[in-house]
Parts: sequence; C-alpha cells; structure tokens
Amino acid sequence: MVSGGNASSLPLVGGSPEPTIRELSRPGRRASKYPKLDVPEVEINHPAIKNEKAPLPEVSEHDLVMHYSRLAHRNFAVDLGFYPLGSCTMKYNPRFADFVASLNNFSNTHPATPSEFTQGSMEILSILEKYLIEICGMDFASFQPPAGASGELTGLLIIKRYLENQKLEHKTDIIVPDSAHGTNPASAKMAGFNVVEVATDDRGMVNIDDLRSLVNENTAGLMLTNPNTGGLFEEEIATISSIIHEAGGLLYYDGANLNAIVGVCRPGDMGFDIVHSNLHKTFATPHGGGGPGSGPVAVKSFLKEYLPGPVVVNNDGEYEWYTPKHSIGRMHGYHGNFLVALRALVYMKLLGKEGLDTLGSYAVLNARYLSSKVSKYLPLAFDEPCMHEFVATVKDLKKSHKIKAYDIGKALLDKGFHSPTIYFPLIIEEALMFEPTETQTVETLDDLAESIKLIIEELTAPGVNLSDYPKNLPVGRPNELIPAKHLTVHWGDFELLELTE
Amino acid sequence: MFVPHSNLDLNTIFDELDIKSLEQLFTHIPKDLLIENGLDVEDSLSELEATKYFQDIANKNTSNMVCFAGGGHYDVYLPPTVKSLTMRPEFMTSYTPYQAEISQGILQVLFEFQSLVCDLTEMELANASLYDGATSVAEAISVAINKTKRDNVVISHGFNPNSKQVVNTLIDSAKFNLNYVELDNYLFPEDYEFSEDDAAFVVSFPHYEGSAQDLTNLVSKAQSKGVICICYVDPSMLGVLKTPGAMGFDIVVAEGQSIGTPLSFGGPTVGWFATKKDLARLVPGRIIGETIDNNHKKTYVMTLRAREQDIRREKASSNICTNQTLNAIGSAIHLSWMGPEGIYQVGYQAIQKASYMKTSLKEAGFTINNDESSLREFLVKTSIPASEVISLMGERGILAGIEYDKNQLLVALTEKRTKAEIDEFVFAFKEVNNG
Repeated sequence: MVSGGNASSLPLVGGSPEPTIRELSRPGRRASKYPKLDVPEVEINHPAIKNEKAPLPEVSEHDLVMHYSRLAHRNFAVDLGFYPLGSCTMKYNPRFADFVASLNNFSNTHPATPSEFTQGSMEILSILEKYLIEICGMDFASFQPPAGASGELTGLLIIKRYLENQKLEHKTDIIVPDSAHGTNPASAKMAGFNVVEVATDDRGMVNIDDLRSLVNENTAGLMLTNPNTGGLFEEEIATISSIIHEAGGLLYYDGANLNAIVGVCRPGDMGFDIVHSNLHKTFATPHGGGGPGSGPVAVKSFLKEYLPGPVVVNNDGEYEWYTPKHSIGRMHGYHGNFLVALRALVYMKLLGKEGLDTLGSYAVLNARYLSSKVSKYLPLAFDEPCMHEFVATVKDLKKSHKIKAYDIGKALLDKGFHSPTIYFPLIIEEALMFEPTETQTVETLDDLAESIKLIIEELTAPGVNLSDYPKNLPVGRPNELIPAKHLTVHWGDFELLELTE
Repeated sequence: MFVPHSNLDLNTIFDELDIKSLEQLFTHIPKDLLIENGLDVEDSLSELEATKYFQDIANKNTSNMVCFAGGGHYDVYLPPTVKSLTMRPEFMTSYTPYQAEISQGILQVLFEFQSLVCDLTEMELANASLYDGATSVAEAISVAINKTKRDNVVISHGFNPNSKQVVNTLIDSAKFNLNYVELDNYLFPEDYEFSEDDAAFVVSFPHYEGSAQDLTNLVSKAQSKGVICICYVDPSMLGVLKTPGAMGFDIVVAEGQSIGTPLSFGGPTVGWFATKKDLARLVPGRIIGETIDNNHKKTYVMTLRAREQDIRREKASSNICTNQTLNAIGSAIHLSWMGPEGIYQVGYQAIQKASYMKTSLKEAGFTINNDESSLREFLVKTSIPASEVISLMGERGILAGIEYDKNQLLVALTEKRTKAEIDEFVFAFKEVNNG
C-alpha cells in the first residue's frame, strides 16, 4: 500500500527509553547565558528571598536539543499521519498561519498595553468576529473563552444570567442528550444547573417524545450539537427548537461538530441562540498535544449584553474595549487565546468564499466515502446518511472473537494510523468513531479501510494474543494501574516504588 | 484550498457514493435550512497577498515598545532554541496523548513539566496545565471548597483586577462567599484571624502591587483551622524567592507565560497547578504518570482519568478538556534551558534593576509607595493621571507599566531591561509628569 499519507512508513522511533532531562543533568553544565548585570549591585535583604538555588536540571544546550528532538520523534502528529479521530477534526494545520502568528507585533505585545497601541490586534478580533458570526448565523461574539469547555460554560452562564434578569430563576434544568460530549454535563453542573438527559431514538437522533416529556416550566435550555455525536443531522431541529423556546428555554449549540456544516447551513438559522466554536478544530489551528484551543462564543442580538468581556467594538474607526452591560464577567485573564484566534482568521482568509462555501461539503464527502468503505468490514451504528463523521461498532467481533473496539484501535496504530475515537458516543456498544476531515486524499481513506480489513483478518486468526498489539512502536500497551494506584507522577516516584517492592 | 481532490478523485468518490454533485449529500437536511447563495465573505487570498494583508494589520500595533508592564505577564528573554523546539510539528500538530504508544514524546515532556514545576515550587504533584493564571486561581479555590465542604473563601485583594474578575465569574457567588481582604501597607495583614468556616486562604506571592512577605506564619495559622492555603506565584522569580512548598502551602498556581511563552497579547499562555498528593483526586485537568508497558519498558500514560469530564461527566472535578499543553512544553524546555543559574539570574537581575530604577526615580523626586517591600515590581506616584503617563510614554516607545489607580503606576522590571532603557524611562517620566 502506498498512499498520500503513506502511513506504513511512519518513522516513530523505538529502541531503549529516552532518559529524563533530570537523568541527563550533570553538576556545572548549563545552556543559558545572561548579560552581566549593568546596574550598580546592591545588597538585597528581603524576607521573601531564599539562599539556595532552584533544583533545576543542569544540561548543555546540545544535550537539551537532542533530548527534546528525540522525544519529538516518539510522537504521532498531523504532520506525520492520519488521525481519523471522531469529534476532534484533526485536519491539516497550515504552516502559513504559524508564520503570521509569529509576526513580532502580534506575538510580543503585552496584554495590558492600552488600546491606542494595539489597534492591529483588535482589528484582527473584529474581522474574525464578522467571519464567525456569518458562518454561524449569529450576531455578536466574544473571544474570551480559551477552549471549547470554557465556551460551553460561558454559554450556560449567559443562559443563567439572562434568566435571572427575566426573573425566571426557577428555570434550573439543562437538557443534554445521552450521546453528548462529557464536557456538556460537566459544564452545566459547573454553572449550577441540574442536568437532565434526553434519550436518543432508534435512528440516532434526539427522541422527540422523550424531549417533550422532559420539558416543563423548569427548563432553562438544551445543549445540542448538530450534526450530533453520532455524525447524524438532527432533521427535527426546527421542532426541537420550538419545543425549547415555547417553554421559555434557550438553545445552545456545541460547536464541536461545526466542520460538517460550514457553508452548508447555520446554527443561527436552526434556532440556536448561543454557539461556541472550537477554532482548533473547525478552523485548523494546531492542537498542540492537547491545547491551546480557543472557544469563542457567539450569540443572537438579544444576548449581546451578556457576553463575557471586554469585547472589541469599533467606535468611529477606532477600536475600543467594551464590557457588555449585563456581562457574565471574565473567562480569561486577558483577551482569550489571541494567537489561536489569529491563526483561525488566517485560515479563513486563505479559504475565502470559495473555500468556506464548500468546507462542510468536502468534510461530509470524505466521511461518506470512508463510511462506505469501512462498512464493508464493520457494521455502522446507524443506517442513516452520515455528515462529517460516522460510528461503526465492533460488537459482533466482540461476541465472536472477544475483539473490542480498543483492540482495533491499538492494532491500527501499528499500521501507521491514529486510532479512531473509541467508546464514544457512550450509547453505542463497542463504538469506533471516524472523522476523516476534508484534507485527506482518497488513497489515504482507502488505505485506512484496507487496514481495517487486514486487522480483522489478523486478529481473528487462531492463537492471536490481542494484548500484544501494537507491536512495532516505541512502547507497547501501558500498565495503567501502577500510576493510578501509586501516584507515580513525579520523577522520583517510580524509583521509590521499585525500591519498596 | 486544503482539499486535495482532483476532478479524477471526485469522480472516484462520486461513483462510490452513486451521486453526481456535492448538493446530493444534503438531501436529508430540511431545504429551508440550506444556505442559498453561499456565505457573505470575501474571496480567498493567496499566501503572498495574505502576507501583506496581515503585515499591514500588524503594523497598526505600535512596534517594539520597551516593556515595563507586568501584572503577571513579563517580558522575560525567550531563547530561539526553546521556541523552535516547542514548535516542532510533532509536538505542535499532535492530539491529546490518549494513545500512549504513539504519544510518548508529548507524555514524557509533560511528565518532565510536572516534575519541574513540583521541584521548583516544592510540591508533590502537578497537572499538565490549565488555561492561564487567572483561571487556575479559580480552579484551586474549587478544589479547596470540594475538599473542606466549607463555603467561605479568604482571598487577598492583592491580585491583578482581571484575575479577581475571573474568580468572581467562575466561583458561584450565590453559594460561596468571596471575602476579599485589603492589604495593609501592601502586605497581607499578619494578624488576620482565620475561622473554621474558611475553605481557602488565597494569596499572591509577590502581591500584585509587587510587595512580598514571608507567608509561613499566615499559612500555619490558616492550616490550624483546616483552611486550604493557595499560593499564586510569579514563576520567573522562583530562582530567588522562597518556595511556596517551604512556606507550607497546599496548592500552588501560577501564570506560566514568563516561562516558555512570548507575551502573546495574553494568550495562549499557561496555568500551572501543583499540590500535595492527598488532594490528587480533586485535581482538575490531565495528569501524566510513569509506568511500564507489557514488556516492562518505561512508559508514560495519562492517569487518574476517573476525575475527568469524558468519564465522570457531571461529577468531574472540572469541565476542562483542551488545555495549554504546548505552552507547558515550552515551560519545561525553558526551565531546562535556564537551569539553576539561569533562573537565578532572571530573578536576581530583575530585583537589582528594579532597585536601581527605584533609586533613580526617588532621586528625580518621585515617591515609590512600596519601596521597602517590593522586589521586581513597584508602585510609583504620578503627578498627572497614570493613564496619561502611559499614553505619553507610549508615544516615546516605552510601555511604562499598568495603571494601578488614578495616580499610581505599576512598573515591572525583568532581566531584559538595560540600564540605558531604565535611564531613558526615568528621563521621559520626569518630562511627562512635569508637563
């Protein structure tokens, strides 16, 4: 197999473990050098100062560079291969956006610099707001939330403050689908709401009858992503919207799956009042091994004065910071993850109208193609046309050969692919969730499907020990019990454990 | 633009799906929801055009201001070595390390980050990062509330006002009482009496105003009442400052920008969170542990996962998912680059330069309000409103500091500021204040 992704040639390096930077430390070595003190030295006597030096590693610069470069070689990344990771939108991250984000005037501005000296950075946020609200069908946005979960909490705090202002404090229930991302109920709880779960129907969509039975005068709102976490478009969204709105609740859009609908349809037109979007998913900013992200929140006009602030406003051609009248407050020490927001704008400008109009379509096209290929080897969870992602299930193989979704994921690693998302959504037995994104080639998608076929053949052969997979990587399956039980979370801990056992 | 498909590829895909156009993908979506004439946005730019477009916008920021502003974010020297290693694509474009076998790079660097943070603060367990310093303070308060089941929080007023706003937003005021304590002559009152209703004692070290005190006695007084003690520390001063662990704190949080991240207009930066092991199961965010694989080989893996939102859902210790991993990687590499001597120089030179600057300002007739107790950052009185001072100094290419109140300016020094820059500051400061 040779594909555009050429997964099988992945250069993850194995060999013996890389020592820690502390193990590389030798007394007296150093990488850093600072200028000599150029002011007259005075004696410092202060009760907050210590006498001893900090216990940091002492390494030469070359040792330092080799160490962290060798560690980089033990890591999978978008720049190395394909992440068919459902719900995560691991698309290509344009290098050009990093170049713009590293321009000195953007990257080296102190956050407390007054607005008269930061008109450029504020203009970036203002333009990005225009793009984002156009894409989402909303009216205003705040870039305070530094990540998706923070955006969710922001949205819920907006609902709470809005209801308080309407003297509707008795509305304390937030309805969340049983298929929702874990951050949804966690955020609702943090905002002080009761979490009420609505069931999914046989087709994989919100069960409308169940929803009707749960909605009452206490309903504060509904959190929903559309397409939902099963990758299906909630066709009854108009009905859902009117059920919630008629009860006086608000509709919150979890933007985790926004990539499916960019240029196709808009949350605002579906009836959503509040939207958060994950710029690190839909708008291609690098995930950084788990962060940083950016989770701006956009709202309809009637909620504008509740946004976290300050937000950028344009006053006669001059950009100013404005704190909305009923603002929920601040979600971040300064202006959110500005350089991530900047990268997202760069991506949008590079795509432009032609790229943004077709973004969702190509994301769905690739998912539909991959689902067609994968379904030849694994049954799909739902018999419905998927959007940007789809869920397959390993439950038959589990019954026949004790092969779990986990095992398929691990075996795929050996073939040079990241695992799909496993065991999510929670309502699907042995779920494998695939999201190819629009940036993968046909050959890569074919390769993945072919690899799944080969894996199933391999793992169902007699005498196979499933826990041996993956076999060809820097390490095999980790023992997850040791650190959880013994809290080996600092570089002294594991050695200590070995000594005592 | 980043869609790879040629017309030939599209034919292959369309054939497989038995469709003839992209529109056919969406026949199941109610027609009135489909966007009719596309989005109202501008045409695309090539990279060449976009370079000019963004450079022009960047130029609307004032370039290369000499930075005397602090308040949590400091203009510390960030070596290109640290930047380029941090931005290696294997780190930068990777996902959360759920798949340990192909994520040993990220996992080991994060494990080193946790260990370095623990060593530097003298704590036992650090997480793999939170959003920033301000949100970390709020997360720490939540841990204290969960641990003690008490609802009163004693918090020093000596915090960046923005951080206080974040705390006020994230801690539910209907359920919990945030009791802000005024500083007394820029220090937390040593005779403050804690009560058994207090969940947390939250204090900044140094205080936002730049003054610092040995907090050992206050911490032990608070702990005798069962109060969880939370220290918000300036990490770039930990080469010279007493450690929060040595002073007895239970939780340490920090704005980690000055270690490994450029000023970045405030984001993305990184929140540090470290504590003692007995609070392990209440810690927010990801934690990396050391273990072995099925061949007894050293391996790192995400651990204590049962605290997290994707497993515990509404019972999770926090809703955090995406964090600031890449900035934490920057922190680890920067700390390793600095070493004990480097981080000492960063702190020691900042204090020496502040001392020189305070002397110069006093000689020029100005008053330093917290001369004795301050270290690298201090409050100087202005004769005209502080905001005007900042504007006028800004026109001369100097970011003079942060407006503390109408006639006080908060000025910060780092090891990067030179004697010449300080002298120029003092000269300009004299001129603008004397109008």
